[in-house]
Amino acid sequence: MIAFITRRLMISVFVLLAATIIMYVMTALSGDPLADLRQQTGPNREDQMRVRSERMNLDVPIPIRYLQWLGALITGDLGVNRDGQDVGVILGNALAATLQLVVAATVLAMLIGITVGILSALRQYSGFDYSVTFAAFVAFSLPLFWLAVMLKQYVAIGFNTWLRDPVIDTTVIVVVAIAAGLLWGALTAGSTQARLISFTLGALVTATFLSFLSSTRWFADPGLGTVVIGLIAVASAVGICALFAGLQYRGPLYAALAAAGLGTALHTVLGGVLTDPTWPQLLGLLVLTVGVCVALGYGLGGLLRRQAITTAILTGLVTAGLIFLDALLSAFQAYSQRMRGRPIATIGSNTPNFRGDFWQLTLDSATHIMLPTMALILISMATYSRYSRASMLEVMNQDYVRTARAKGLPERTVIVKHAFRNGMIPITTLMAFDFAGVIGGAVVTESVFGWKGMGQMFRDGLEMVDPAPVMAFFVVTGGAIVVFNMIADIIYAYLDPRIRLS
Amino acid sequence: MGEILDSHGDNRLDVHVGLTLDDVRPPSDEEILRVEDLTVEFPTDDGVVHAVRGVSYVLHQREVLGIVGESGSGKSVSSMAVMGLLPRTARISGRIFFRGEDVLALPQRRRRDLRGKKIAMVFQDPMTALNPVFTIGDQLAEAVLAHELMPRKQALGRAREMLDLVGIPQAEARLRAYPHEFSGGMRQRAMIAMAVINNPDVIIADEPTTALDVTVQAQILEKLIEVKDAVNAAIVLITHDLGVIAGMAHKVLVMYAGKPVEVADTDAIFYSPRMPYTAGLLGSMPSTDTTGHRLRPIKGAPPSLINLPSGCPFSPRCPLADEECVTREPDLALTDALDHRAACHHWPKMKAVEDPTVFFRAESEIQG
Amino acid sequence: MTLSAPVTSGDAQGMTIVARTQGQLVRRRFFQHKAAMTGLVVLLAVVVLAFTSVGFGPFGGWWKHGWTTTGRVIDGGAPTLTLWPFSIGEHPFGQDNVGKDYFALVMRGTQQSLLVALLVGLVATSVGTFVGAAAGYFRRRTETALMRLTDVMITIPVLLIAAIVGRMAGGSGILVLGLALGLVIWPQLARLVRGEVLSLREREFIEAARAIGTRPRRIIFKHILPNTLGIIIVSTTLTIASAILVESAISFLGFGVQPPDISLGQLISFYQGAMLTRPWLFWWPGILIITVALSINFIGDGLRDAFDPRQNRVRA
Ligand SMILES: Nc1ncnc2c1ncn2[C@@H]1O[C@H](COP(=O)(O)OP(=O)(O)O)[C@@H](O)[C@H]1O
Ligand code: SF4
Ligand SMILES: [Mg+2]
Repeated sequence: MIAFITRRLMISVFVLLAATIIMYVMTALSGDPLADLRQQTGPNREDQMRVRSERMNLDVPIPIRYLQWLGALITGDLGVNRDGQDVGVILGNALAATLQLVVAATVLAMLIGITVGILSALRQYSGFDYSVTFAAFVAFSLPLFWLAVMLKQYVAIGFNTWLRDPVIDTTVIVVVAIAAGLLWGALTAGSTQARLISFTLGALVTATFLSFLSSTRWFADPGLGTVVIGLIAVASAVGICALFAGLQYRGPLYAALAAAGLGTALHTVLGGVLTDPTWPQLLGLLVLTVGVCVALGYGLGGLLRRQAITTAILTGLVTAGLIFLDALLSAFQAYSQRMRGRPIATIGSNTPNFRGDFWQLTLDSATHIMLPTMALILISMATYSRYSRASMLEVMNQDYVRTARAKGLPERTVIVKHAFRNGMIPITTLMAFDFAGVIGGAVVTESVFGWKGMGQMFRDGLEMVDPAPVMAFFVVTGGAIVVFNMIADIIYAYLDPRIRLS
Repeated sequence: MGEILDSHGDNRLDVHVGLTLDDVRPPSDEEILRVEDLTVEFPTDDGVVHAVRGVSYVLHQREVLGIVGESGSGKSVSSMAVMGLLPRTARISGRIFFRGEDVLALPQRRRRDLRGKKIAMVFQDPMTALNPVFTIGDQLAEAVLAHELMPRKQALGRAREMLDLVGIPQAEARLRAYPHEFSGGMRQRAMIAMAVINNPDVIIADEPTTALDVTVQAQILEKLIEVKDAVNAAIVLITHDLGVIAGMAHKVLVMYAGKPVEVADTDAIFYSPRMPYTAGLLGSMPSTDTTGHRLRPIKGAPPSLINLPSGCPFSPRCPLADEECVTREPDLALTDALDHRAACHHWPKMKAVEDPTVFFRAESEIQG
Repeated sequence: MTLSAPVTSGDAQGMTIVARTQGQLVRRRFFQHKAAMTGLVVLLAVVVLAFTSVGFGPFGGWWKHGWTTTGRVIDGGAPTLTLWPFSIGEHPFGQDNVGKDYFALVMRGTQQSLLVALLVGLVATSVGTFVGAAAGYFRRRTETALMRLTDVMITIPVLLIAAIVGRMAGGSGILVLGLALGLVIWPQLARLVRGEVLSLREREFIEAARAIGTRPRRIIFKHILPNTLGIIIVSTTLTIASAILVESAISFLGFGVQPPDISLGQLISFYQGAMLTRPWLFWWPGILIITVALSINFIGDGLRDAFDPRQNRVRA
């Protein structure tokens, strides 16, 4: 397996290297780098042209320029742009925001897209399936920049305005409730009666929930509170057990419930630790959570120890996530006031010169990254959902799934264990490919949201026929693509023993 | 169409010189499985597929029932109905009794308890029937754990015993192997091990040797008979090749276009078929006593299961077909011998000749 | 099976199907595909509207305004189109700040966007098919070389390479732009075709043709390509749909269609600043892009289902 991954990695690096040649040469040929100066009439025109030619080495043939650039790159020097600024420095500022954006978008798109795809495969030809299919087609046909501008103009500005008086309109409540009801109805298998019941329950619960949020003006000062955290944690414990172990067995259920209970109990105690944590601290807590959950699963699992450990860990992670979310939401009101009541940002990747504690800073990034991510994930989400739907449908028709059923395994195990694992194998190939698409999308999104990110570096560089920033962008994103490729390969090898063992 | 020609027939009857049914315990009178008037239809965009049209049979303890018919005659669908593995779109009617209990009326949960525990299945293609991403041991142990709560170790121990039983060497080490590390024959052995791991009462073997090398086909069949004896199970042995049945089944049900067209003891099927289709199958089967005759596949193709022809479904291909055959569909009715049923208006004509396959010979061959 | 060979009813699945020729089957399935038919009708309507309304080349159109004529701005340039009661009014899509009729502009943009996309689709398909077929058929060195080139091209995100060639060619008119974009968007298709050719290559009828000494070129053109036709047609369609989006995206970034040419993306980019005061300048081109891309995507889906029915669809 290591041999397989190393070989793939080597190939990727060489392919990337070859791609830099194409990128460099084409960028250098894409226009006249002196065009703006030629049109000038000022007295020092000749001087400026000479300076720039020298800085950009325009007298040297392009292939040599490429080699010079490559040589510098190997020493870690990304060169200077045509105005003499160090590209490495510009990149440093832009890198974090852009990588955050593309990684967040990709991970979210995968999670949501794959889940939706699997559900729509399992409910093939249902109302849900048709709606998802249609939505995916719309997503494939949406111009990203257009969507981004719409989000910016309508969602962000509208939401900010609405936040001043966060009362949900009755019409909105009714519409959302009916939509939620339809969703549940469509997802329910079985008789018309069962669907009707799901529809009614789903709609009622949603309506009640929204009315509650509205009447308590929850959005002005959001938060979960220990009780809600506890309820959601227990509900997830049960859900996770139903999915991964089956509810008829005690071990896994007790382990998961214990994880949920312990997490909720800790929430009240942990307040102090979480006032102003750092990322390493949080990571440490996460590792601790997993450790405790493993112990819980081991101790309470009985004969189903493996399943118990899985359910405990998953429940623990969900609970931890809830606690994190609660802390973040609690900081919202204060943050919102500091932003003069307009918390959802439409420009830039963070508020300039913003200072605050961990939660405020995290919120600041979150409110900035939210809309670009929403715009960006749509297409990827559609891609993932289509692929995983097709893949699951294909797998569900395989003989070994029939064998699994013939053994008398519950449908849950057939899907979660046998079909899912095989169904995800082709998705790994999509991962790397889709990531490249997200990077292209990031250029557009950043441009709409006025980020001083890498997208702008690329755009400006290309505008000015200046290879150094363009190449810096490509090297970083290409590197990210190679890393994603590698992750995809590792997952692939993990999923498929035929690769792992060869 | 090419099915019958394709089957590697060489020395088919020779292979049965090993273990046969005569070497194992005979069936008892205890009724295990009873299928009554089973009908399965699939609505599709092109119309309703009448895949199974009224299949009935009874299976006793330790008994082997052979189901024979060309590809597409509804053999697999009828056994999948017994297993409860048909897609949701299938419309099933009729009754299926397992030990006197009406299976189709059971709730899903109870049906699952039967599946793999009381009624197990061996599929046609061992190359695709095992999940490529899990070890053999895992897949075998899972079959045990699906029905019984026990430590994984214990389940794996049972898996190892079963691999031993089906003759896979170094069973302990093989538990950790993945399917792609097994040959076709070994995989089918593993499938048989999986089928018997819960001591089932019935094993449905759906063309268990069709996808295998001729050289291992006989071994697999013998192994099937051997493990059946070990766990006291009855077998439904499905095949499109009558040659497989000889010496391996107590009685035979011949299917054509979704219907049973002849049901009888294996000997009766081989020596006194009462339905021209069976005779056609016999005639296309190479055997030691007809050496010198070429294979004679039945001419034509089975009818569309969406638009069935009127009258006897075999009439378009039947050398004995006449006016009556085209207008009225024959019922499966008793013929000259006890427990020998056939669906043919003209079965007496079959009785009249010594070698019923004669109807399917080319003109020239009969003269010569 | 070649496209013209009749489907025999021999295999278990085929049994349930009445024998028809492959071509008839494909056509029947396509014309029964509701989404594809809707897409086709809508697309035709848009094409007819775009090309007849403001005219194309030497042919004049029936619409009263041209896309270059400025005029008096009426009512702040707001659209006069009302759906209920239906009336078109003087400027159904509104006017820009110098009084140009926005309907005329959008129609002109649609024409040009469609042309670019079509060109991209055709060029990309030709190159992709050629590379894929050659790589799949010849194997060895040819394959290695071609597929490595494809791998390299695929590493570069489509939008980046498109922006770069757009920067190069955008100023030289839409035909050059379409050609240039087509020359860089082929790799996906090449991979697809190669995969298909690889699997066809091992099939009996190709082996037979090779065994009797048929020359490679003949095998490729006579036997292999006709059998990959389905996949090629489908990909072309989908490529055209994505080309519309790529063109509009790079035009939006400023690297695509340049004035005086007009495309839908370029209109959005050009009027971006007017978003707050004249949002309709932003709405219409977006709606047209979505409409066109969506109908082409649906047509592509219908074609895919028609050429490659994975199963007899059962809806119960
Ligand atoms: N899910 C299904 N939908 C539609 N038709 C089906 C389905 N499953 C089987 N059939 C049809 O039922 C008929 C009987 O199939 P089968 O029982 O598999 O035949 P065989 O005797 O070869 O095992 C075939 O014509 C097949 O096409
Ligand atoms: S009923 Fe007629 S057509 Fe049918 S098998 Fe008998 S003789 Fe042939
Ligand atoms: Mg079968």
